[in-house]
Amino acid sequence: MKNINALQLDNVSTFVGKTVLVKNATFEVKPGEIIGLIGPNGAGKTTIMKTILGLMKFKGKVVVNGREVSENDHQALDKAGALIEHPAIYPFLTGKQNLTLYAHDQKDMVSLISDLQMSSYINNKAKGYSLGMKQKLGIAIALLNQPQIVILDEPMNGLDIESTIRVRKLIKRYSDQGTAFLISSHILSELQKVMTRVVLISRGQIILNKEVAEFEKISHQKYHLTTDNNKLAKKIFAAYQITFTANENYLIVSQKDIYKIQDLLFKEGIHLKEMLPLEANLEQIVVDILAEKRG
Amino acid sequence: MIYSIKQELYKLVHRKISWIAALILFFLMLITGFALADESKKLILTLTFDSSDFIMFILVIVGATCFSMEFQNNTILTLLYKSSNKVYVYLSKYIVLFIYDVFLHLLALFYTICLRYTLFNYQVNWSELYLYHQPVWLNMLTALLIDLVTTMLIIAIVFLLSCLINSNAVVITASLLVTLMGQSISSDLMNGGKLVGIMKWNPFNMVDLTRQYANYSMYALTTQLNNQELLVGSLVYIFIFVIAGYLIFRRKRF
Repeated sequence: MKNINALQLDNVSTFVGKTVLVKNATFEVKPGEIIGLIGPNGAGKTTIMKTILGLMKFKGKVVVNGREVSENDHQALDKAGALIEHPAIYPFLTGKQNLTLYAHDQKDMVSLISDLQMSSYINNKAKGYSLGMKQKLGIAIALLNQPQIVILDEPMNGLDIESTIRVRKLIKRYSDQGTAFLISSHILSELQKVMTRVVLISRGQIILNKEVAEFEKISHQKYHLTTDNNKLAKKIFAAYQITFTANENYLIVSQKDIYKIQDLLFKEGIHLKEMLPLEANLEQIVVDILAEKRG
Repeated sequence: MIYSIKQELYKLVHRKISWIAALILFFLMLITGFALADESKKLILTLTFDSSDFIMFILVIVGATCFSMEFQNNTILTLLYKSSNKVYVYLSKYIVLFIYDVFLHLLALFYTICLRYTLFNYQVNWSELYLYHQPVWLNMLTALLIDLVTTMLIIAIVFLLSCLINSNAVVITASLLVTLMGQSISSDLMNGGKLVGIMKWNPFNMVDLTRQYANYSMYALTTQLNNQELLVGSLVYIFIFVIAGYLIFRRKRF
């Protein structure tokens, strides 16, 4: 069983009518892996998640725990849990009743209530819950019945710091027990603390799929420059077709262009004030990669 | 499938409206008892204090919210991925509403017996022959069974509309219009002269099944079908509407 991927997407394209929302997505998730699915708004993250859950029309192959998922056959998802868009909660039921609706095992449910510190309000009707309470209940529903794969769309939405830490620990514990996770989040710094692999999606296409360690290396291939005349430096880089991204105060360039840049700046009399390898800041890396893709 | 049915039952049992509706049914039957004090007691018993119309309204409201609550609470996604096939989600809801329908009809029977012997104390012999040369008790049971078919037809229409229209209010209004105005819409459709032979099989005609059973001479003229034909027509339309509703549900974007 250990050799079977928890999730495998092969050339998956998702459609709404004739519009293609996701194009040829291919990636895999191994048992115990925590995948961060990141990308700008409208990139197709939620669509991919819905596709995996057999909720969208698609072409290609989605395999969960060795079994294929289709739009009308979800048997492969019997060991899957998910939180998509908003927590799926019935307001007329109490938190406990919402969990009971899906729970196969009472022990599992009790343990999740305690792990997520929901005991004080779990017997109240869910209609009175705050956003954070609903979010925790939604996460608990996704984690019920010892799932082999869990799909979480923006799980930290509305959570306070304490709850965020609790959820993070819970994700790590489940992952250590072999549960695979596919998580999307806009809070990349938070995601960076748990994920083992990054899948970057833009305009419906997967543009990067790397282990976090590899991903961090990318950052060191970039340099952060500050000159005494950034405006002129930008013009020169553009004239010599040097790829760069710019901010008001600094420029980011590729390691391969460093010597050429130093020469050019010297010739033009621009003083190079600072030149440092870029730190492994996921947000910045993502911004850079996306900027590069946009040309 | 059984798992999906259990889930739907759990939700139905925990919804306040399911129980409040059962109480409302009693009060409406009670009011009917007073309002129809001068009518034939046998007819009142056969129609279980006109419970069929009230059950119809209850089912339209509960049925219409059956799907809309899933869309409003985003629970439809969980329901769909947790069930092995979309058809189970659709059918389990239909089956659970059928169970609730049976429950309401049994409740109507219970209320009728209670009211007959307590508040109204009708001097009617249950074994006295009444409609179709059958005893009153048999008329009452037959009317209840026939009404189960009529109400399931209405639920099938409600489900079909719920999958077509996202607005809960529009679904309830349209379903009530079919229920209340079905007869006049049907009459209009049958005004075509030559086409009456075909148009008498229109679905709006079928919603009069229970009313025709209790008042054959009046309704048979309008529907131009006998009881058996109405029953068969209703069952066929239930099948068609359930299938059509499911096909729309299957194509719906979530």
